[in-house]
Amino acid sequence: MRKLLLVLAGMLLIATSLLAQHPRTVKGKITDDTGNGLPGVSVSLPGGRTGTVTDAMGEFSLSVPENVKSLKVSFVGYETKTLPITGNSTGNVILLPDSKSISEVVVVGYGTQRKKDVTGSIASVKGGAIAELPVQSFEAGLGGRAAGVQITVPNGIVNNPPVFRIRGSNSISMSAYPLIVIDGVPAFSGDVGAGISNSPLNPLSSINPADIASIDIAKDAAATAIYGSRAANGVVFVTTKKGKAGRPKVTYDGWVGTTRPTRLPTVLNTEQFLEMKNEALKNAGNTDRYVANLDANGKVIDTKWMDVVYRDKTISHNHNVNVSGGSESTSYYFSAGYTKQQGILKRNDFARKSLLFSIDQQLGKAFSIGARMSYSNEQSLISGSSGSLEGEAFNSGGLARLAFLTSPLVSPYNNDGSYNISGSGMSGGKNTLPIGIYNPQVLLDMDHSNTEASHIQGNVYLQLKPAEWITLKTQYGADYILMNNDIYLNYLSGDGVSSTGDVTSIYTQNKRWVWTNTVQLDRSFGKHNLSLLAGFEQQRDARERYGLRRQKQMDNYFNNSEGGWLTDLSRYLLRKENYLLSAFSRLNYNYNEKYYLSANVRQDQYSAFGPNFKKGTFYGFSAGWEITKEAFWTNAGLNNVFSSFKIRASHGKVGNFAGLGDYDALSLYKPAPYGGSSSIYFNQAGNPDLNWETSKKTDVGFTYGILNNRISGEFSYYYNDINGLILFVPQMPSAGIPITSTTATIATIPTNVGSMYNKGIEFSVNAVAIDKRDFSWNIGFNIAHNKNEVTSLAGDITAIPFVTSSLEQTSINKVGYPTSMLYVVRTDGVDPATGRRIFINANGDKVYFNNADAVKYKYEDGKAAPTVGVKDAVAYRNTNPKVLGGLENTFRYKAFELNVLLTYQTGFYVYYGSNAGLRDQRYWNNSTDVLNRWQNPGDQTDMPRVVYGDNISNGSSFAIAANVFKGDFVKLSTAALTYRLPDNIANAIRLQGAKVYVRGQNLALITKYPGPDPEVSSNGNNASGQGVDRNTLGNGRTLTVGLNVNF
Amino acid sequence: MKKYALNILAVTVMGLGACQKGLLEPVPSTDIPDFKAFETKERIASQANGLYSVMKHGKFLGGKYAIANEVRGEDFVNEKANNVTLNASWRMVPTGEAQEVKEIWSQGYITINNVNVFLTGMNAVGNQVVGDSIAKLYAGEAKFVRGVSYFSLLQLYARPHWDGAGSKPGLIIHTEGHAKIGSYARARSTVNETYAQIIRDLDSAETLLTKPAAGALTSITRANAYSAIAYKTRVYLYMEQYDKVIAEAAKLVSASAPFVSPAGHALEADVQKVFAPPYSTKESIFSLPFTGSTDDFPGTQTQLGYYFTPAAKPFTGNGEYSMHPNGVIADSSWKSDTDTRRKFIVQSLGKKYWTKFPTPSPFTDYIPVIRYAEVLLNLAEARARQTNSVDPTAVALLSAVRHRSDATITYTVADFANVTALLTAIAQEKHIELLGEGFRSMEITRLGIPFPAKSSTVPVIAPTVPQYIWPISSDELIYNKLCVDNN
Repeated sequence: MRKLLLVLAGMLLIATSLLAQHPRTVKGKITDDTGNGLPGVSVSLPGGRTGTVTDAMGEFSLSVPENVKSLKVSFVGYETKTLPITGNSTGNVILLPDSKSISEVVVVGYGTQRKKDVTGSIASVKGGAIAELPVQSFEAGLGGRAAGVQITVPNGIVNNPPVFRIRGSNSISMSAYPLIVIDGVPAFSGDVGAGISNSPLNPLSSINPADIASIDIAKDAAATAIYGSRAANGVVFVTTKKGKAGRPKVTYDGWVGTTRPTRLPTVLNTEQFLEMKNEALKNAGNTDRYVANLDANGKVIDTKWMDVVYRDKTISHNHNVNVSGGSESTSYYFSAGYTKQQGILKRNDFARKSLLFSIDQQLGKAFSIGARMSYSNEQSLISGSSGSLEGEAFNSGGLARLAFLTSPLVSPYNNDGSYNISGSGMSGGKNTLPIGIYNPQVLLDMDHSNTEASHIQGNVYLQLKPAEWITLKTQYGADYILMNNDIYLNYLSGDGVSSTGDVTSIYTQNKRWVWTNTVQLDRSFGKHNLSLLAGFEQQRDARERYGLRRQKQMDNYFNNSEGGWLTDLSRYLLRKENYLLSAFSRLNYNYNEKYYLSANVRQDQYSAFGPNFKKGTFYGFSAGWEITKEAFWTNAGLNNVFSSFKIRASHGKVGNFAGLGDYDALSLYKPAPYGGSSSIYFNQAGNPDLNWETSKKTDVGFTYGILNNRISGEFSYYYNDINGLILFVPQMPSAGIPITSTTATIATIPTNVGSMYNKGIEFSVNAVAIDKRDFSWNIGFNIAHNKNEVTSLAGDITAIPFVTSSLEQTSINKVGYPTSMLYVVRTDGVDPATGRRIFINANGDKVYFNNADAVKYKYEDGKAAPTVGVKDAVAYRNTNPKVLGGLENTFRYKAFELNVLLTYQTGFYVYYGSNAGLRDQRYWNNSTDVLNRWQNPGDQTDMPRVVYGDNISNGSSFAIAANVFKGDFVKLSTAALTYRLPDNIANAIRLQGAKVYVRGQNLALITKYPGPDPEVSSNGNNASGQGVDRNTLGNGRTLTVGLNVNF
Repeated sequence: MKKYALNILAVTVMGLGACQKGLLEPVPSTDIPDFKAFETKERIASQANGLYSVMKHGKFLGGKYAIANEVRGEDFVNEKANNVTLNASWRMVPTGEAQEVKEIWSQGYITINNVNVFLTGMNAVGNQVVGDSIAKLYAGEAKFVRGVSYFSLLQLYARPHWDGAGSKPGLIIHTEGHAKIGSYARARSTVNETYAQIIRDLDSAETLLTKPAAGALTSITRANAYSAIAYKTRVYLYMEQYDKVIAEAAKLVSASAPFVSPAGHALEADVQKVFAPPYSTKESIFSLPFTGSTDDFPGTQTQLGYYFTPAAKPFTGNGEYSMHPNGVIADSSWKSDTDTRRKFIVQSLGKKYWTKFPTPSPFTDYIPVIRYAEVLLNLAEARARQTNSVDPTAVALLSAVRHRSDATITYTVADFANVTALLTAIAQEKHIELLGEGFRSMEITRLGIPFPAKSSTVPVIAPTVPQYIWPISSDELIYNKLCVDNN
């Protein structure tokens, strides 16, 4: 009370002194970019001697001495502005959310911290940056927005989780996906339906991007160690929006858009197909010939299968309404969203209905309680395999491949209008030679492979502050995903033919609860500021799944498992659980906000670890030094340039076990009938010593702010030394260790053996280049360099190949190289004299291949050479981008804003495996590249002589170097033009504000990569098989028009 | 206020106390942990069945093994040019990375190790749980499974016995169980050493097992002494020890027609009955059973019916392979109008298909591993070779098999000019009789004849060229530095 009186007295004094200078009253209104008045914004005179705050409508009125020519406007979380004063009003002033400020607060795990106090490496992205993007889940929009964060959208299948890496790939066999923590509760991530239906379900898509307030990406040990054994891949803290004190605020956000496939390969038409295949047949000494078929009108059939499979005019739309508000003791946020998005593959849709409600209530002086509940229903719809998800690359019915493989000679329909079917495939009409695999039209019309999830997330907390410096909190959170798969394979064409229709329904529940109890003590002793956190946490997951598979449909009427079928089978049965028990603590100390020290420690006990290693302890230490507070710095005049310059360093040990199976440590016998009798057999060799992967992370860097933070940014050097990698160590087949997974091709036992490192530098800068009243230009740029190297694998095993979709050996993890090296047989072009493909075998010898010759492989001198195969493959090229980042420019002119984000990655290669198919000399259709084939001695070309039946020369039998290309690219990731309705018009139609925008996503791509997109992954997030483009769908280019209105 | 604080603290502490340490040691409820696998008699009985479950996997004797042996031969045409369905093997160009080369090798050794793990566990605890007499039976069955598995692998991955009299590299032999990480690298034994192991197992199985009457389901789907004896007639034939073939066959085949065994094994009057439900004929000696229950039928793209039957009703195959017009069906002495075995051929979309395993998806036809007709022909060949003459018993045995399916033919000694003619006829009979059951490739390599050409791009493969046999799985060569490839 005494303090307050003193302040009042002081203010009176100042006011009196101002009065003496013939002050005038300046009025104005401060709004956000949507026109909403911002309450509580501080408006002050330069030097901060006096000022005021805006009222509930965002309006202010301030007495200003005559000699003062400008006002400073600042608000937490918004950019600070200096307003020139002309006359008695500043008019409407728009404050923009500050995405670069170093004055804001960041989430650090079990709490928050002022950004300027942070000594760990944390990148923050504001929710606004991704709220309007036409993506299904927020992380797909993070690419290029934070240094060291790599996002690869693997293909055009909607709701497919992107590949997400922070500072390189920090695991080989486990997941390298960061831990995602949503409002304090660790969330499920990845594709929760993986391996079941053909439609992916990314559980993070349950979060409506428009509901996200901020995303904080913790990168080093100091920032992540509080998550101990799960922190090695980085931790991403997602904070959803909360209500603010003030009148209720209603916002509508919506957009509608369309996506088109881009950069698809051009395939042969009928005329070209006949020319090429008949030449190939002739060259093979085969007397058969392909002939054209005629349609009902007597015209030559020339089917464009790409048009059958891809969708050119998609419609997507998204709507979100939220209401927020609160009083001094209560705040609430309520939102409802609906989105439906169509993919570039026909029948591939994503729909989400989402509800979010959060409330925080102060109870008396000491207690507060709160809850956050979200419900979403997500539907991922697809007809069947696109060939684009992990494990699907070689699916017979993979639509992306069928689109280019199927011959133009045949139509999806017979001339009488019925489907063209024969066996499980199609009739070639007049041709007896094969013309394709399945009829894509039938698959698209009849099949479905849908995933639907009801996702319930929520938490409640009770907090007690018995004293200002003590906070006790208990929080219980739950995350339930209840998922249904509905899969139907038709009886006419495709994989369902042999079982006369095949239908499967699967129900899965993923249940998680997390109970966290923490105590936080914050105290200052003079210039010593201390903050101590201690807590305990339990997390329990339980997963159950059962599936009903039925075959032999009784009538073509049925296409769900509840209909009429003759055969009943069970499928996908699963019951697993795990439990994580933890204790953790954090101590932050600073002296006068000049010297900072921080320590984190966490002990985890985890059920899936082997009985010999259940318990692990993890830690992180960091220190910071704010040099601008030093006298020598000030004396040197550097404060005129630097508003802040903080050096920081951290070191710590964290772990990773993401992706470890709940029972991987155990040796198990599996039940399976033997001719109707009971039987069990040895089916899993476990490892009682199994434990976490260890990452020792070191980070050194500085953050800076120049010219009153007009330019700010960060620089980091990091080194992450990873040991005890859990490798699924391949066992020599003759040892007879069982193959547990039905999709694996070799037996493995999980073992903590390998090691590798990631090291690199990151640099980011945010600058206000121009800041005029009518025009401003902001630049955000970041760049990161990462080097990854595997330093050991399993003892004397120094190389572990990776097989894409159980069939093609494409990649290898090898000591001395980065992870996911492309593992291909080297080629040396095409022999100009004979048109033969030249392979280079393991010995380095050139081997010439001619499929039409009795002796197919020959040395240069004509002598027979041993067959070339995968054994001749070498670790050929790196797939990890060496350099990546983004450049964002925001231009604002009056009511217009243009935002352009470029992303780039360089220093990596991609295996364009689809190219092997596009040039395959079996019956497959080809890309028009084959028209360049070798024909006469002396022809210089990269396309060998065509020989029918040749699936070796162009890489179908084993991966070859001729299909490896540089992936370097610059992408115009997003460009958005926004127009904000002037206030007078908005107010006239009773709106607080409104804006409209048009936005393009994935607009342009500069790359030498010949495939649809070098940002691609046939193996999803698998850390061992990156950089593979095998029969995947391309990416689309999206245009949206959006509207944002505030009431 | 302090009171509240204390309450909160109490709740926090309770939260800690509520943590359930037991949850840190979960045991799956769906699979049986190793430390509980030998607890009861019933569970061990299930493990005894499990020995066969692993062997009948579609990637081994339940499908791909037979398919690979058939498509390497000259009787089929690959229709789909799909490497997943053994196109490379059909073209005789599979590399060590080929899916089938890796799968059969790997599943064969998984079968062998499952036997070894079982025997290790039985010796440690299981024998006491089940008692001596049952323990002996289980050991006999385990050894039979191991012997059959080694024999089957040997035919694809090693040079035949005639090449160097068994001195060429054979298989890697393991007889101890591997249940955890270990150093298991071992070099290949010779062909002769591998055969010695096979004979040890089968001899032991014969001694340990009972001699039940023929025809009962359990005497067909689980090994007994006769299964071991019958299998030895095959093994000794492949070892070129014809006297031993005769000695083993003597335990199973009467001296003169009608040929029967002491337990009642005999040729079924209609060969089709052997391949039709309930599959338990007196001709069946050891077969792998399948049912329509989940996990009791072969997996996708491993089923015999899927490969060889057409899609046309009543079949639901994928017509992966049609019959080669120049294959054994071109043999005019295999009469099309009178021989029952021609009924396995159906016409669909202008092509002929083999339907010995006709049952539609999920393809649950039992797969014979060995049946009486083969034993008769094994004996016939051994007698002809051993006596080096047109042996009348050999002729009678041959005639029995032919006459059973074609009543118009009865062979006599006079039908054969010399022993070569007789041997040719026996080989042809075996070719026809066992067509589709997975014998052709191993019969060709045993006999040392070339693989005939199948098309303009699939030429003759002479016995001397590397492709005559399969390469070793590339996975083995990568992870077992002691193993050498075939070349």
